[in-house]
Amino acid sequence: MIRRVFRVLLCVVLIAILSKACLVRDIEPVQSQNSNVETNDLTLIDYPAPKNVTINGIDYLQSQAPIGSFGGELISSTIGEGPKTFNPFNSKDNTSATMAGIMYDGLLTTDPITGQPAPKLAKSYSISSDGKTYTIHLRRGITWSDGKPITADDVVFTWKDIIFAGLGDTSTRDSIIIDGKLPTIRKIDNYTVEFVTPKSFAPFIRMLSASIAPKHFFLPAVQKGGAYFDSFLSTTTKPEDFVVSGAFKLKEYVAAQRVVFERNPNYYEINTRDEKLPYLDKIIYLIVGDLNNEVLKFEAKELDVISLQGAKVARYKSLEPHSDFKLYNLGPDTGTMYLSMNMNNRKDSNGKPYVNIVKQKWFQDKNFRLAVDYAIDRKNMVLNIANGIGAPLYTPESLNSIFLNKDLKPYDKNLEKSRSLLKKSGFYTDKNGKLYDKNNNRVEFDLYTNAGNTEREAIGVMVKQDLEELGMKVNFKPVEFNSLVNKLVSTFDWDMVIMGLTGSPLEPNGGKNVWLSDGRLHMFNQRTPQEGKSGILPWEKEIDYYFTQGALATKFEDRKKYYDKYQEIVYAEKPFVYIYSPIRIVALRNKFKNIYPSSLSGITHNIEEIFVEKGKK
Amino acid sequence: MIKEILQQLWKDKFARIALIVLGVIYLALFFADFIAPYTKDFSDRTMAYVPPSKIFTITPEGKLSKPYTYNYIREFDKNNLEIKYSLDRSQKHYIKFFAKGQPYKFLGIIPMKRHLITTDSDGRLYLLGTDINGRDVFSRLLFGGRISMTIGFLALFVLFPIGLLYGGISGYFGGVTDNLMMRFAEAIMSIPSFYLLIILASVLPSGMTSTQRFMLIVIILALIGWAGFARVVRGMVLSIKNQEYIQAAKSIGASKMRIIVKHILPQTTSFVIVAMTLSVPSYILSESGLSFLGLGIQQPDASWGNMLKEAQEFTNILYRPWLLTPGFLIFVSVLAFNVIGDTIRDILDPKSKVR
Amino acid sequence: METLKYVLKRIIQTIPLLIMVSLISFFIIRLSPVDPLAELKLNPSISPETVQKERQRLGLDKPIIVQYGKWAFSFIQGDLGVTSTGEQVSQKLKERIPNTLLLTSIVIFLTWLVGVPLGIIAAVRWKTNFDRILTVLTSIGMAIPSFFFAILLLMFAVKTGWFPIGGLTSPNFADMSFGGKFIDIAYHLVLPVFVLFTISLAGLQRQMRANMLDVLDSDYVKFARAKGLSEFTVIYKHALRNAINPMITLLGFEFAGLLSGAALTEYVFQYPGLGRLILEAVLKSDINLVMASLMMGAVMLILGNLIADILLIITDPRIRVKS
Repeated sequence: MIRRVFRVLLCVVLIAILSKACLVRDIEPVQSQNSNVETNDLTLIDYPAPKNVTINGIDYLQSQAPIGSFGGELISSTIGEGPKTFNPFNSKDNTSATMAGIMYDGLLTTDPITGQPAPKLAKSYSISSDGKTYTIHLRRGITWSDGKPITADDVVFTWKDIIFAGLGDTSTRDSIIIDGKLPTIRKIDNYTVEFVTPKSFAPFIRMLSASIAPKHFFLPAVQKGGAYFDSFLSTTTKPEDFVVSGAFKLKEYVAAQRVVFERNPNYYEINTRDEKLPYLDKIIYLIVGDLNNEVLKFEAKELDVISLQGAKVARYKSLEPHSDFKLYNLGPDTGTMYLSMNMNNRKDSNGKPYVNIVKQKWFQDKNFRLAVDYAIDRKNMVLNIANGIGAPLYTPESLNSIFLNKDLKPYDKNLEKSRSLLKKSGFYTDKNGKLYDKNNNRVEFDLYTNAGNTEREAIGVMVKQDLEELGMKVNFKPVEFNSLVNKLVSTFDWDMVIMGLTGSPLEPNGGKNVWLSDGRLHMFNQRTPQEGKSGILPWEKEIDYYFTQGALATKFEDRKKYYDKYQEIVYAEKPFVYIYSPIRIVALRNKFKNIYPSSLSGITHNIEEIFVEKGKK
Repeated sequence: MIKEILQQLWKDKFARIALIVLGVIYLALFFADFIAPYTKDFSDRTMAYVPPSKIFTITPEGKLSKPYTYNYIREFDKNNLEIKYSLDRSQKHYIKFFAKGQPYKFLGIIPMKRHLITTDSDGRLYLLGTDINGRDVFSRLLFGGRISMTIGFLALFVLFPIGLLYGGISGYFGGVTDNLMMRFAEAIMSIPSFYLLIILASVLPSGMTSTQRFMLIVIILALIGWAGFARVVRGMVLSIKNQEYIQAAKSIGASKMRIIVKHILPQTTSFVIVAMTLSVPSYILSESGLSFLGLGIQQPDASWGNMLKEAQEFTNILYRPWLLTPGFLIFVSVLAFNVIGDTIRDILDPKSKVR
Repeated sequence: METLKYVLKRIIQTIPLLIMVSLISFFIIRLSPVDPLAELKLNPSISPETVQKERQRLGLDKPIIVQYGKWAFSFIQGDLGVTSTGEQVSQKLKERIPNTLLLTSIVIFLTWLVGVPLGIIAAVRWKTNFDRILTVLTSIGMAIPSFFFAILLLMFAVKTGWFPIGGLTSPNFADMSFGGKFIDIAYHLVLPVFVLFTISLAGLQRQMRANMLDVLDSDYVKFARAKGLSEFTVIYKHALRNAINPMITLLGFEFAGLLSGAALTEYVFQYPGLGRLILEAVLKSDINLVMASLMMGAVMLILGNLIADILLIITDPRIRVKS
């Protein structure tokens, strides 16, 4: 009996719930007026750059930022597996380079606002009028962390015996070989050195930011040769053994968990009250495996600073007013993301063309490339994939580059234009909307990107749809990163690819491997070393010219002209169809003061000046 | 025998529920083309990460109406750096049943246009919202389920014959053959299976079509499971081979292979059934784990594992809970398989050592 | 003496096993189309000479059989080679293996502590509702994809602030007292242990239940009952001892299952263990590192089985006689 009543009741409740679920009233919400919150453009605060002062014969660097209080720590993070080495001359990955960079200062650094070279270990520098001789004046009386003086011997040793000798990572050396020759270095006196480059070579000044090694500490390792040097200052070196020049020194490294740095009491920067910086006692880098874990850690207050992408920005923006952190907009990212078509018309050693003859004809056709470009819906890509936190990109230089050619205008998706361009080259569509070329070949090709990268996979899906609107058939194939690179740089058997490259907002010459026609990453028309510059296209030749001239010129204005030209050519010829740049938004806890965000150097570029507000440690 | 098992299963309360749940899921997957409002790859890019459509049955004026929905409009709010969705109330889109929509081929052969539930061609009906590319999550769940829910079975069909034969031969012949074969199987078993799985999956050549990739993943899953299975079969064969009727078969001169296949292996049937039902879930989970790491089924194909990949993001869990539905479905179906497996084991072989 | 001989024999038996494991894994890895130098090649600032230097250093310019020979030879000498980024593989493993062992042994301990009694109760109350519900409950634990469960738990930790977000130690670990360190590690282990525990509990409970059913059905238990011994004595004195023995053999497999299951959990919780190391190595196709961690995984597994065997000899004299 009870059971039956129960069942009936159950049925009634179920029906009630169902009808409640089905009968939904459509009520118009009251429109709330959007309150006018502050606009969120790039926040530029005037950064009082440090000055040189001499006290008791010691040439200090003096911070001009407000005086802070000592103590406290900043917890940051690094994505991936953590540093591989702490040797600044052997760091092949970003994380290792950052970690080593904290401990080893260079002669010069970059002004975070203007992007011009600024003094660091060097007090000042001068360049001769022919642009070949660089004279560097070092600070007197400053020391390494173990108290030994920093002198011209250290500088000469670093450049001659480590960098020029090709020990460790050779990227610095590779980028200063001019016409097959290296610059020379000479000690003039204990505090002056002189570099002479074989030709005037503007990018050289940037290279002077390379770390300087303490001779007395590095010499034994250098004498033991390359293999030993590679394992010198590895992650197993005892922290107390380090001798450094930077503001911080290694305190502890725990594999796959964290790296802890403590302040270097012998650092050469002081505040306006002549107290030795840095303010912070410690910087801690937590090693986190992925972006997701990083956000969770920030959310749980285990991290003090985090860079945000996409939807996370919206979340933190809404939390910001009642939270203990602030968001900083650092402007567009320095990397570029692009779509490229393989124009290679050469054959491999077996006489087989790298790219299908029919397909390479399309990709070599400028109209075809332009048609693809106009079909790409950058606006929706930014909205969907970057959650609106991005800007469409049309040039090879990133949007915050000081060399960006601002005359190259953006444009929207324009299928009409694409169609007419294709028509001009004899492409036609049949009644089912399928696209054929003038020899009646169906337009069909593979689109690759690296699997596992959600952002690029999502872009790939959208590009495929965009191009299929033109009647092309696109086989989208995300493949393993390694195999993809192999295709790009060795086997050349790809049609179309979505890739990204890192770039520098300060120095376009870093892209010479990509843009010079015999460059190692000249992907869209890659030549093997044996092929040299064979079959060079007229506009490739022009880029070669402007790129070389850009490096040789010394004045910024002259260089800019050359690099503007190269951007114009790329913009017109579309060897790469640029997609968009994410905008970098960083969240940092409020308790940190002396924060001067910069689109060039990020938010913690003046780490020695940053301090924790009193009472919030 | 199968009929008996089913009857007994039906008697058990938990097993009955599990059977019904699995039945509903598989039916839905079979008729996926028809049930899903959209095809697998249909996407509307202006509709990325849209929440589930709101369906109304009472108009603003308070009158009862046929169910209808509104489209969403997406805007980027520059002040809050946020994408906002609001209902486009200018146009009502009525929900239609058995109406014409996106064309598809039913079961891959019969061209059809009718869908169980859809709306007019300008309207968008997203029962479970959309993903990053503006694809309907509900439709993709159905198509992705086809992969996730069959991959385990396919792997079993590959690995069971191998395991049975391998174990049978090894156990029956004994001696050096047995020793060698078992050492090899042990070597495979000595590599932690998930490690082996990711290594095999990561070396899959690139540029395969999605069918090829699917088949290879099936084979990889099978490659990992067969050794343990073969070992148990061998143990059983060892005890069976000395029974009288096998001796009898031998004495009448039946060939060794015939004895193994015809006389010994059938004796292991109940074990095989139990082992099969109990191992399906582990393959479903393995596939989801692989796809979660990006080594399994690749975009734009759907599987529950690779759909769940999007759900690992913190903001997605907080603000787009509909992306978690594949995880929920994996959970429900694995649980159902487990319950059925447990019950079958209790019916056939309560002391079974199979887990 | 007999025991020692048996143990020795078992150890010698593992050698061909290890050779076979190394051959299988080496060829799988090397036959893949994956290029360990890809990342270097795509870095605009690395010269072709550097790439060539790396290739020679990793021995990629030699035929595969030579590569295996070289690898095996140095492996025997205890040199596991260097990773693709130039770190000592042995060093990396040394950092990770203790952490993985810590995690897995705690999980095994806990599952035994809970799983065995639950298995006994389920067997004693076989076919009652209690048994059925227990089975379904443990199945629930088994049915959640481990990574998904781990993610949800992390969300929980974020929302409540009760647990740390992954890792093994706090940033100020080095400055803690011994007791503080102990508590800190325990605190970090709670969530990963919980995930692995829920997943592996079901298997153990079922196994124990099956064994117990087996024993309860045997003649000597019937005999003990017939003798009029109390049900408690029958179950906990006679049946239990015999039901537990086969479980010890399982210990080795338990260990294997955990090594595999831990990989995804370690990945989500950012736990510095072997599983996360191998995942990262595989994704970057760092040959030496993958090989070494595979071998270590296999060695740990074989050792686990060996220990189980030895334990079994000690607890069950019948085995000794047989061997």
